[in-house]
Amino acid sequence: MKILFDRIDEPGLNTLEVYQRRGGYESLRKALAMTPEEVLGELEASNLRGRGGAGFQMGKKVSFLPHGTIEKYLVCNADESEPGTFKDRELLQKTPHMLLEGLIIASYAAAASRSFIYIRGEYVQQADVLDAALAEAREAGYVGERILGSEHSLSLVVHRGAGAYICGEETGLLDSLEGKRGNPRLKPPFPANQGLYQGPTLINNVETLATVPAIMRMGGAEYAKLGTETSTGTKLVSVSGHVQRPGNYEVELGVPSRQIIYDLAGGPPPGRTVKCWFPGGSSAPVLTGDDLDVPYDFDSLAKAGSMLGSGAIIVVDDSTAILDVALKTAKFYRHESCGKCTPCREGTNWTVGMLERIDRGEATPMDLEIMASVQEHIIGNCLCVLGDAMAMPIGSMIAKFKDEFEAHIETRRLQALEPVEA
Amino acid sequence: MPRPAQNIITFTIDDREVKAPENAMLVDAAKHGDVEIPVFCYEPKLGQPVGACRMCLVEIEGIPKLQTGCSTAVKDGMVVHTQSERVKAAQRSVVEFLLINHPLDCPVCDKGGECPLQDITFGWGGGLSRFIEPKRHFVKPLELSPTIAIDRERCILCYRCVRFSQEISEDHQLVLLERGTQSYVSTFDGHPYVAPFAGNIVELCPVGALTSRPYRFRARPWDIEDAGSVCTLCPSQCNVTLTVRDERVLRVQAREHPEVDDGWLCDRGRFAYPALGGVAQANGAGPAAAGARVVEPLLRDGGELRAVPWERALSEAAAGLSRAGARTGALVGGGATNEEGYLLARLMREGLHSPHLDSRRAGALPLDLHRALNDPGLQARVSDLEFAHAVLVLDTDPIEDAPILDLRLRKGARRHGLKLHRASAADLLDSTRAAELAQLLRDAGEEIVILWHERLTAGPDGASRARAVLELADTLSLAGTAGAGLLEIPAHSNGRGLREAGVLPNAGPGLSEPSGSDGADGPDGLDALAIAGALAGGELAALLLLGEDPLAGGQRDGAETELWGRALERASTVVAQATFVTDGLREHANVVFPAQAYAEKEGTIVHPDGRIQRLRPAVALVRGREAPRAQWLLISELASRIGLDLDTHTAATASQRLFDAVPFYAGLTLEEIGGKGVRWQDRPAAEAFPGREQLV
Repeated sequence: MKILFDRIDEPGLNTLEVYQRRGGYESLRKALAMTPEEVLGELEASNLRGRGGAGFQMGKKVSFLPHGTIEKYLVCNADESEPGTFKDRELLQKTPHMLLEGLIIASYAAAASRSFIYIRGEYVQQADVLDAALAEAREAGYVGERILGSEHSLSLVVHRGAGAYICGEETGLLDSLEGKRGNPRLKPPFPANQGLYQGPTLINNVETLATVPAIMRMGGAEYAKLGTETSTGTKLVSVSGHVQRPGNYEVELGVPSRQIIYDLAGGPPPGRTVKCWFPGGSSAPVLTGDDLDVPYDFDSLAKAGSMLGSGAIIVVDDSTAILDVALKTAKFYRHESCGKCTPCREGTNWTVGMLERIDRGEATPMDLEIMASVQEHIIGNCLCVLGDAMAMPIGSMIAKFKDEFEAHIETRRLQALEPVEA
Repeated sequence: MPRPAQNIITFTIDDREVKAPENAMLVDAAKHGDVEIPVFCYEPKLGQPVGACRMCLVEIEGIPKLQTGCSTAVKDGMVVHTQSERVKAAQRSVVEFLLINHPLDCPVCDKGGECPLQDITFGWGGGLSRFIEPKRHFVKPLELSPTIAIDRERCILCYRCVRFSQEISEDHQLVLLERGTQSYVSTFDGHPYVAPFAGNIVELCPVGALTSRPYRFRARPWDIEDAGSVCTLCPSQCNVTLTVRDERVLRVQAREHPEVDDGWLCDRGRFAYPALGGVAQANGAGPAAAGARVVEPLLRDGGELRAVPWERALSEAAAGLSRAGARTGALVGGGATNEEGYLLARLMREGLHSPHLDSRRAGALPLDLHRALNDPGLQARVSDLEFAHAVLVLDTDPIEDAPILDLRLRKGARRHGLKLHRASAADLLDSTRAAELAQLLRDAGEEIVILWHERLTAGPDGASRARAVLELADTLSLAGTAGAGLLEIPAHSNGRGLREAGVLPNAGPGLSEPSGSDGADGPDGLDALAIAGALAGGELAALLLLGEDPLAGGQRDGAETELWGRALERASTVVAQATFVTDGLREHANVVFPAQAYAEKEGTIVHPDGRIQRLRPAVALVRGREAPRAQWLLISELASRIGLDLDTHTAATASQRLFDAVPFYAGLTLEEIGGKGVRWQDRPAAEAFPGREQLV
């Protein structure tokens, strides 16, 4: 079942003409004919869970916004930076109007009158496509004052980020959008109460908002029949790493993970086996080849000790040393840590230091225990989830591949002791 | 603006029930149960908590994750654990994380011994480090500013200094550069951090990353003693703690007083102390140089001021003054205390029978106006500036005239929605503009404070401008409104106290009708400007200067300075008490007595909002020798040589004489004033304030 990727490669889908020919903006018309409460009711009925990483129910998030005449903001998080995740890029590039339509409907349901799309700076081409689509939508009266003759007005600004992973964290994004250094804020207050410019703010991922037109078209209850009971609908999954056909695939939530990795993405190259895989971007604890039959949905993955996260599967086959996977992951988070809170700033740096020491043959098995305890001290103690995003996968690797780490330590230590040949 | 009401609730911390104000942050609420939650980045003075250091993690029943005590508001029935194994493990790990890049150079660090990082490591840390990788390195120390050194290796990135610069002083100069573990504090482009309140970041820093360059390596915490006093370098009268080693002031720190300074100091107050010693010592060997600290009496001898014994100076001064008698004028200013002003007024009025004394630069104002402007019902307090709906800043720039009030106004505007309006004297006298101004203020709300400077009442229009201020206050009904009123910044730091002590040509102690020596109402004396004219014209012959040099730079305009030049030239006797030899004194004074600086002084002063505060002597030596005789003693000795017994033998009796003489200070004791001062308007004796009739 394809909803977001339905005929995604149709030429010119990024233009208003083709999008409208395919029934685009009909959902918006339908929504504007309803009351905002009814639209919100459909969103809640769909049980759509946020596609950005946390998996929070979108309709509930909208309902958290305070009511009344206070000015509200809607921010679309298009700062897709999680390693292995490239689904929003394809949506932005090929069907930007679907995002715009979803965003406008959501703003109507949330009674937000100002909106922003924060797109990561590296998405230059996608931002240009989005700008062009926005200009078309504005021209056609979908964005601006009194949309399609209704009472609803919306201003929309596309803001390009400057290339920091932390600006994908919702409060870091808000600070960056306000022109400040992109550092996460303390929560509470949550953005629904005090977000952008201290106003109530709804923040949603690109994919989440792009799903909204389909929900309006199908009806929330009908959409909720897709997927599993707690993970409704379809999901874009970015598959990368050691697979034969990497790319974005749209699947119904709840399919076996093996089906995605093997049937859709072709599995690892011939003769290799899956050693471990990140089910939801590099922040998710790794699963092993034994976990391939776990259904791909929010709750099953959580039960298996990992998470669906941003919906990005990174496959590592048996040709790769787990130390290299850990080092690459830890280095990314050290580089992207904003430095605001202690455990993340120091913990990521320390972890990289220890992993590098293992690599140089200067470590002992005791270092493995220290490294595991450092991960424990990071998890749950940080200001935002960036620290956890390193500590969870690294912790899981140490737990699941302890023998390999120990063997690695020993081998490298002996190598380092050997005299260098002249 | 209504101030937040406090609701007391009960919560449980470490298995004990504790009462605390509702919505206080847990870190503060815990203190009500004598529980300390360690913090680094939390500092309520800096505004909203940021939760960056993670030191204050605590366990709250019902919440799965550990929470930061600095940002969690306490609620009724909350159950908090700060001693559970989980919390202890988290605290140990945060200390370990903070120390892995800290150089641990405590033995050579200025902060060692008074360092929160040391204390918390000792109290909550694990005592061991498992970190063996190389530490982060920076070039150090660097000059962050001429007064502040920065050691980036010691920095634990708590954000306090950056938040101060961004949200308190709002100079927006300090930022964090780079990211993650490479982050460091700097100005944006590396220029020196020069700002009026920069020094506060040294005190805010919880480690030795920011140190005071004048204090660097001068003492360790076990070498020093603290002495509480009040800074008299401007009318803000911030409460300070002087760091003293071997009878020398080595450092000035804030002594937080929410009603006075809010815990901040300006850089003038913080870094001026090395100057208290003067540039060079005036001694018997040579003539006194300008800028030198006066440490012994100086007498004009062959055209130069030379040191002489006290007895000689006293008899010369007494003889000169006695000769002039009622043809003597006196100016009082600088940091002169109430007692000094009161005793000097008695010396003038009763000893020399001269009413010609003044403590105002602005010239005489009718007594009824003095009384109306200082009416206890019309006085705003400093904290009203923060919570008022609107403040009218009239004829003053607080950053120049009373710097710490600038921070208070910024706080009000940033946190409580204070509306700020500025106007000049000309606006008040123009009836259209005055009406517009009144409307603007009235639109903001009822609680309005008018912050004005003494210079508003200067010159021939002074009285009419003062009446215009009173009229505006009346239009806005400031007198009857709590949290509203007038706040005057005087030209001298103790301007208000000196006036209340009777150092005015037309008022006795307590703004009473002046009296002659026989008890009858005396004639009004000459004001400062008229004294200059009378000296220049020969009607007056002698001048007594207490903490004032009318020729000192920039205080008076050109014509007035020129007049004072002629006045001092013509005066037959000029007797001064001064801390420093100034050009004016070197040129014109016949006798210069040494005066104590505020660190050496004992007495009381009055804050612009009526708070009577105590000065306490912190050091007994000046430049290695005994501190000068107290001014009250000197005046008393001069008086006795002139034939007047002031019956004052200790500093405490001097204060007592003053409290007895000012009706609205009645019953005051030094104990009541204590370390925090007392506003006389808040005491029952305030009812004795003279002439509370409506003027306008």
